[in-house]
Amino acid sequence: MIRNEKLVLALPKGRILKEVMPLIRRAGIEPEPAFDDDKARQLRFTTNIPELDIIRVRAFDVATFVAFGAAHLGVAGNDVLLEFDYPEIYAPVDLNVGYCRLSVAEPAEMVGDDDPSTWSSVRVATKYPHLTSKHFAARGVQAECIKLNGAMELAPQLGLCSRIVDLVSSGDTLKANGLVEIERICEITSRLCVNRAAWKTRPDEVGSWIAKFGEAVDALAA
Amino acid sequence: MTETQMMALLPTGLADVLPPDATFEAATLAQLMAAFAGYGYERIKPPLIEFEDGLLAGLGTAMASQTFRLMDPVSQRMMGVRADMTPQVARIASTRLKNVARPLRLSYSGDVLRVKGTQLRPERQFTQVGVEIIGTDRAQADAEVILMAIQSLRDLGVDGLSVDLAIPTLVPALCKEFKITGDAEIKMRLALDRKDAASITELAKNIGTNNAAMLSALLNAAGPAERTLTALHKMTFGPDAARERAILTDVANRVRAAAPDIQLTIDPVENRGFEYHSGVTFTFFARGVRGELGNGGRYLAENGTEHGEPATGLTLFMDTILRALPRPQAQERIYLCFGISESAADTLRGDGWITISGLEQSEDPEAEAQRLRCTHIFIDDKIKKLKRELEG
Repeated sequence: MIRNEKLVLALPKGRILKEVMPLIRRAGIEPEPAFDDDKARQLRFTTNIPELDIIRVRAFDVATFVAFGAAHLGVAGNDVLLEFDYPEIYAPVDLNVGYCRLSVAEPAEMVGDDDPSTWSSVRVATKYPHLTSKHFAARGVQAECIKLNGAMELAPQLGLCSRIVDLVSSGDTLKANGLVEIERICEITSRLCVNRAAWKTRPDEVGSWIAKFGEAVDALAA
Repeated sequence: MTETQMMALLPTGLADVLPPDATFEAATLAQLMAAFAGYGYERIKPPLIEFEDGLLAGLGTAMASQTFRLMDPVSQRMMGVRADMTPQVARIASTRLKNVARPLRLSYSGDVLRVKGTQLRPERQFTQVGVEIIGTDRAQADAEVILMAIQSLRDLGVDGLSVDLAIPTLVPALCKEFKITGDAEIKMRLALDRKDAASITELAKNIGTNNAAMLSALLNAAGPAERTLTALHKMTFGPDAARERAILTDVANRVRAAAPDIQLTIDPVENRGFEYHSGVTFTFFARGVRGELGNGGRYLAENGTEHGEPATGLTLFMDTILRALPRPQAQERIYLCFGISESAADTLRGDGWITISGLEQSEDPEAEAQRLRCTHIFIDDKIKKLKRELEG
């Protein structure tokens, strides 16, 4: 029997973490010092709250940890949540950080001649094969997705495929690689996500964290 | 890969259940079935495979994409392997048992087969245990099934049990009231299923700010039953939604009154997994256990042709229940040296011993007993406990 008596909050490594930490602290969570020490190899951290630990994992893994109940709470962008679409994850609070969008891009020189309404199948490099094929399928286009884990912008240059689906925030990376954003799939923000069974079996604890995060978002927005 | 290893490989989602797990599963299942029998639920046993058009009619429609098909060489018709037993029970109730007095209480257990596992339950074959009470629309019937499940699961030894009530008809009633249709309704239902607060807010421009605010409040109301009910009763609903709310409140109050110490939560927007339900639904969870122990709720029992009868059903999943229980204790086994009289052996078995008979004379009976994983040995007409060999 798996018993995680302590609540576990999964946070994503990298860019989002910096934006999320003010909210975490505002919600009253202060991780142990090793959390902010870049040299520390630790992956699990205690906090000022005895019954809450933090783990730091890759953004995509936050969703997996939460879906399987290994972590009870997590912070993930809706790009990740939509890509997996785990029925066991709820996303009750929009944290209003990590703003960007998921878009289709192609080389600037293609844009003039390309008529998207005539596509029957496209080859796309992306980190989001599920979202991408769903998006194209909804328009009656078969998307052949090439899964990459980063540096999507290289794919068109090197002839891997002509289009990519990736996160865009300022658009600078696209520009630097001669790509143009031609279509927005969805807007992305980070969400507080919650494991379904954890919410149902520990409604008071989990419910109070949902409320605290909601208040923290309102407080920082004000 | 060697040939033996090739032989051992099973298709995805299928597994052998070995000792002691198979024994434990059978004993647990028997205990549940006995408990249901005690409440007057009579056992039925539908076949594994039925004609596709019968199996997938009415309630079965929801399982169409999960059903394995094969062709019957005898009748030349398509058959389906059951992916869920509830539609079979509904079929039996509306055909062969249609003249039996209502309410009809039936129980069943059996394996189902699904085309695809889910990420949380990768098993494609698993055991369902369930009951249906057919031919009554009383809230007391819903409460009976929920309370029976609570009692049976607790008697098994499930710790930290939690019941989540929902009413999947409330959101459609609100949609009708708010005149939310088409694409907006689909998007909204999806957002509510995912409890995606941000998407509801985003939909405000399609469905109206006030309506979106009400749905957000509904989403946020999910939680401990008392709190949810208070929140729900503060909302102003139209007549349809108010009726659904009253039904939910009625069942919740009955469960609360009879089981004051159970962890009871209410989720007013839960819909997933309850596609064919028409009233209060319930899901059982145990603290620290992945996935649902079981679920069920009110539906219309019909097989596609007859008019439906109001019914409430419960399905428990053996795999999750076994995960929620403490590991079984290793059973005590006694080694009978070769040549012991049959009557002595019968007496031991009569006392509840598991006997392992030596099939030939052994030089060192105690070592032989150890080798055969016995905890005791019957030697010189006496039961002797074996010293546990320290392994490694």
